Amino acid sequence: MNLVYAVRSEILKTKRTASFYLTLIAGAFGPLMSLLDILMDGLEGHPPEGLLNEMFTKKFEMTGVAMLPIFIILVCTLLPQIEYRNNAWKQVLTAPLSKAHVFLAKFINIQVMIVLFLLANQFMIFVDCVILHFKEPAWQVLNQPIDLKKVVLTLVNSYGALLALCSIQFWLGMRFKNFIIPIAIGLACWFFGTILALQAKMAFTAYFPYSFHVHDGFPNYRPWITSIGWMSFGYAVLFLVLGFLDFRKRRFSA
Amino acid sequence: MNNQYVIKTTGLSYQYSRGVKTLTKIDLQVERGSIYGFLGPNGSGKTTTLSLLLGLLNKQEGAIEIFGQHLHANRLNILKKIGSLVETPSLYGHLTAWENLEIYRPVYGVSKERINEVLTIVGLTDTGKKLTKKFSLGMKQRLSIALALLPNPELLILDEPSNGLDPAGIIELRQLIKKLNSEFGMTIVISSHLLSEVEKMVSHLGIIYKGKMLFQGSLPELHQFQHYGSRLLIKTSDNTAASQLLQKYLPESDGAIVSVPYQNQEQVASINRILTQHSLDVYLLHPKENDLEQLFIDLTTAQS
Repeated sequence: MNLVYAVRSEILKTKRTASFYLTLIAGAFGPLMSLLDILMDGLEGHPPEGLLNEMFTKKFEMTGVAMLPIFIILVCTLLPQIEYRNNAWKQVLTAPLSKAHVFLAKFINIQVMIVLFLLANQFMIFVDCVILHFKEPAWQVLNQPIDLKKVVLTLVNSYGALLALCSIQFWLGMRFKNFIIPIAIGLACWFFGTILALQAKMAFTAYFPYSFHVHDGFPNYRPWITSIGWMSFGYAVLFLVLGFLDFRKRRFSA
Repeated sequence: MNNQYVIKTTGLSYQYSRGVKTLTKIDLQVERGSIYGFLGPNGSGKTTTLSLLLGLLNKQEGAIEIFGQHLHANRLNILKKIGSLVETPSLYGHLTAWENLEIYRPVYGVSKERINEVLTIVGLTDTGKKLTKKFSLGMKQRLSIALALLPNPELLILDEPSNGLDPAGIIELRQLIKKLNSEFGMTIVISSHLLSEVEKMVSHLGIIYKGKMLFQGSLPELHQFQHYGSRLLIKTSDNTAASQLLQKYLPESDGAIVSVPYQNQEQVASINRILTQHSLDVYLLHPKENDLEQLFIDLTTAQS
């Protein structure tokens, strides 16, 4: 029950924070770009059939490769910063909560924000489809069949592939009072992880957490998808344990 | 289990870096129902001691018992009954006063009504939707105390709570602390580097300097201690002769003034008689009570 209370407290702390607004804006950014692209350039010769499915899956790929990992890097830093900025660690740790609950609640809160990001994203894709339906009635976007299983799988795979990156960034975010450090490390690793997987096509990127989103996002890189998901989960558990051990022995005196 | 003491530490020592002891064998004893002033200059080890009591730092040497239980074996149960404010307020600036308390309310298992109660106690019921970051420092400090009071604690630990408060705020805080002790029976530990700030409200005192306890006891015990430090300042027509005449009092002289320790007024009269009987003109006879502030300075400087 204490964990539930701890999670509730963490969620309440995000009220009116930059992290909350960032989640909504970042989630809506990708679909907004897709809409502008279609409205300005049209479908570039592609038939409009299957557009509804494409909006929810193929168009989501860019979000999964760029926007979502960058969002996770930012939110994993910004949320622990709430305690540092408000000098509140000592209050948190003198509450009758175990350190394990405090640590887990913060991680769960980040997962809640990621889910909120995905919901905002999917809602905005739906809004895109409504706009396209009325802007181009001939395309009949909303009357097209939708493969819900594929949509859900796309979301789950993207989320799963980023779990490892999320746990590493969470550890860094909890570790450093200076928020520049985790963000700089995260963005640099994401950039090189993406380039190495996309351009250099190095085999080791299948084991590098900051490249997993590429293997998931682009179908050409998908042969490892099953192992990537499991590996990401394994890394997440490993770094969460390491992060907690580090958190437990840290000094939080005033 | 000893119920007389709410806090009892035995041989508590701590070092942040190897070889440099921040605390050396601290035996803190806080009686139930007391207001305990924990005094010491900046950097003397007050916050380190309080951080150890709250479990913010891991114990290295010695034992900590709170409510008769070992802290590290019963940390969560003990923390449920403690309210604390460690130095600066720990509040979320983007939230209102009510929301700041609501964050911790379910953790302590108290009702929503309790939030209104503690806001009333500290006089912050009318802040409405004003965000905490727009509060004055005094308001923030009061809200922090409200947060400390939220679990209806048996023990309240306040580390330098008057930091940054104006004189009116300090008086208000003093009254609030007395009220919490007398009306709600809370045991209160309040740390400060200013004796004058706490001597008007505490029943017991502990003085720490360079990580060592110099004095611990009740306020009357400290006054008794203080009395021994009182001196009589004397200026006569011949200070050298006066020093020789008062040899049995162990006089000290800087040339212009001779000073001797004294116990009571009769002794002052006796000293005056000795001087005048030996034809010395007495220009100054000034009994100087060693006030607590002076005593505090004497105690701490004697160790440096």
